[in-house]
Amino acid sequence: MVFAHGFGCDQSMWRLVAPRFEADHRVVLFDHAGAGGADPALYDDDRHATLDGYAGDVVDLLDELALGPVVFVGHSVSATIGLLAAARRPDLFDRLVLVGPSPRYIDDDGYRGGFSTEEIDELLATMDTNYLGWSSVMAPVIMGNPDRPELGAELTELFCRTDPTVAQRFARATFLSDNRADLAAVRTPSLVVQCREDVIAPVEVGRYVHENLEGSRFALIDAVGHCPNLSAPDALVAAMREYLSEPAREPVVA
Amino acid sequence: MTPAGRARSWAHSPVALLRLDAEGRILEANDTFLAWANGEGTGAQAPEDGAGAPASDADAGTRPDVRGRRLSDLLTVGGRIYWETHMAPILTLQGRVDEVAVELRTPGAPLPVLLSAVARTEAPEPVVDVALFAAQERARFERELVAAREAAEHAAARLQWVQEATAELSGAAGLREVTDALVRSVERHPAVESAQLRDDGALGDAGASLVVPVTGTRQAFGALVVTPHRRPGDVPIDPDALAIIAQQGGVALERARLHEQSESVARELQHAMLTQNLPRRADLEVNAEYRPAVSGLEVGGDWYDAFGLDDTTVALALGDIVGHGLHAATAMGQLRTATQALAAPGLGPAATLELLDQFVRRRQVGFASTLVYAELDTTTGTLSYACAGHLPPLLVRDGGAEYLWEGRSAPLGVPNLRGPRAEGSVLLKPGDVVLLYTDGVVERRDRPLRAGLDQLAAVAAERGIGDEGELLSHFFDAEANQRDDACVLHVAWHGAPASSDGSSGGASDGAEPAAAGLTAAGAALAATDAITGLGSKSWLHLT
Repeated sequence: MVFAHGFGCDQSMWRLVAPRFEADHRVVLFDHAGAGGADPALYDDDRHATLDGYAGDVVDLLDELALGPVVFVGHSVSATIGLLAAARRPDLFDRLVLVGPSPRYIDDDGYRGGFSTEEIDELLATMDTNYLGWSSVMAPVIMGNPDRPELGAELTELFCRTDPTVAQRFARATFLSDNRADLAAVRTPSLVVQCREDVIAPVEVGRYVHENLEGSRFALIDAVGHCPNLSAPDALVAAMREYLSEPAREPVVA
Repeated sequence: MTPAGRARSWAHSPVALLRLDAEGRILEANDTFLAWANGEGTGAQAPEDGAGAPASDADAGTRPDVRGRRLSDLLTVGGRIYWETHMAPILTLQGRVDEVAVELRTPGAPLPVLLSAVARTEAPEPVVDVALFAAQERARFERELVAAREAAEHAAARLQWVQEATAELSGAAGLREVTDALVRSVERHPAVESAQLRDDGALGDAGASLVVPVTGTRQAFGALVVTPHRRPGDVPIDPDALAIIAQQGGVALERARLHEQSESVARELQHAMLTQNLPRRADLEVNAEYRPAVSGLEVGGDWYDAFGLDDTTVALALGDIVGHGLHAATAMGQLRTATQALAAPGLGPAATLELLDQFVRRRQVGFASTLVYAELDTTTGTLSYACAGHLPPLLVRDGGAEYLWEGRSAPLGVPNLRGPRAEGSVLLKPGDVVLLYTDGVVERRDRPLRAGLDQLAAVAAERGIGDEGELLSHFFDAEANQRDDACVLHVAWHGAPASSDGSSGGASDGAEPAAAGLTAAGAALAATDAITGLGSKSWLHLT
């Protein structure tokens, strides 16, 4: 079972969820290139200019560690990355769990992604001009003494550490991509986990993914925000358990 | 402080205060927050409203209620996404965030604030306490810092791109290489999918591309059409840097074109001036081999000549002009013509070189050039020679080879401190071969000259005579010298026909009237014929 973190943080995002599957799964966590503890040298301006590059990383990881076929749990943009990887190499994926997926963040004719072009431009401009707010100011916060000692100091140091330049590019790759057409290429059975209220990936978007993704199930959980893996781990784990306990189905044949 | 005092203190605190539920919904907001969110400004923002004065209670009733709304909805979209992807997770994991810069949406311009928050998990319900500090000044300062940092990063990235292009362009020779270098430099930018140099003006389909003119100081070379990847995560392409690279490319292309034109003229000139019709007769065979340096490098000044001085004497000359290119080619022509004009029967090599010295000094042409000049008496086999700073002739005889080290003096035009120019002489045997050659044949950077000379001697001795025209290719097959022109004059004397075999005397006799005609006209006429090429052609009649 492979957990992939979304935009903005690193594998720490799974600390309240992943351990709960360790009893019955081999659990693998990783940081995307440019995030967390990943070797900064592995970030490649060219390769990581698109989500395809990240999907290639996932395929390489599964091949390298001979992990497939896996249950791939992708949060936020990593849901899309998982979809791209599964379309490319269906043999590596048993099932996909897509938490707060969005194939396109910007509204389009007849499609509501949740953001206007202007808003995404504003986000990118905010990131461009708000270097200090997005990185340097965050650093002492992250390093600061947490009131939750169970996190452990050594993990805290790495927690959410992101090169601001890379974060900016990752934001562009995330929020400017349109991967709606890629949904049709995925044959891997999947679960779409949708929070009841999510300003980044609204319910309509989750339903859109479910309706356009063959062999997908839809689970609406009672959680608010974009990170149920932190804000509602119990609900998320329950939805995942229920889905994984279903008998494995044959992959949908087109 | 009384409970009422505390309540007033909460309501009118200089910072905006909020209490949120676990889902980020506002449970309570103080008046300061309501005033900020209502666009009433802060003390720092609007000093004319009364410096630092808290918002008045009179307005409180008309302000929109924010209770029940999520804090992230009240932030601009950047802050909203940041709240959802960064702050909310960190609040969960660490229980607090400090001094995060976000912007509050207001009816007017967004208000920059610093946000600190603490998650309180104690009973009865988990809540989050939030304090917002107005941060216009800090935001302005930060924007300046960020702008300065961006400008620095921008400049560094631009400089690197341009510098790499400069290095690439300066290492390229020739139009094709420069064009390739230009395209390669531009394509090195990660956001560039492809680049091409178009000179056909067909830019109709360049809608999605950047088009930058490529011009030198005098010529236009079309336009650089740059197609970006247009991938979401790509860094922008700096148009100014692209323009600088295109400009450098234009200058490099112009330089390359001028160079190629002058090289081509120089080569044609050199080729035209090198003697094509070498003396060829029963008792003497003269062949020349010439190998230019590899393309793209400049034309060198190697030259050779062979012409009849009188009916029995053949003059041989081989030299190397100092300099390269068009200049060397023209100097070569002048020196060759002067040699033909000044050489005269009975003068001898040393005296001929001294006349050439005067020519070089007077005309300021070919100073310090080297020259080996020799005269062969075809009836006796006597070869007299003089080397003006030039490498010694090589005598190949009976499967052996030896250098002729006599008759050495300074290069042309250089004052000869050791007195008059020297000359040497050697008596050839029938079957002997003499090689005159330029330094490009034996000199290489990776070995001493001596080794080059030894190798030439060994190859020449091994090949013997009768391999005319093959020495250079044979020599160079193993020893590729690509940096300099190389030239060899190959002189084989078969012995005087009359002395070796009486039956061939008829040919020699038959030749005499023509040669006598030249002799009668005098040396000056012979020299004139030689200059126009008739002199060497006349040898054809003699054979």
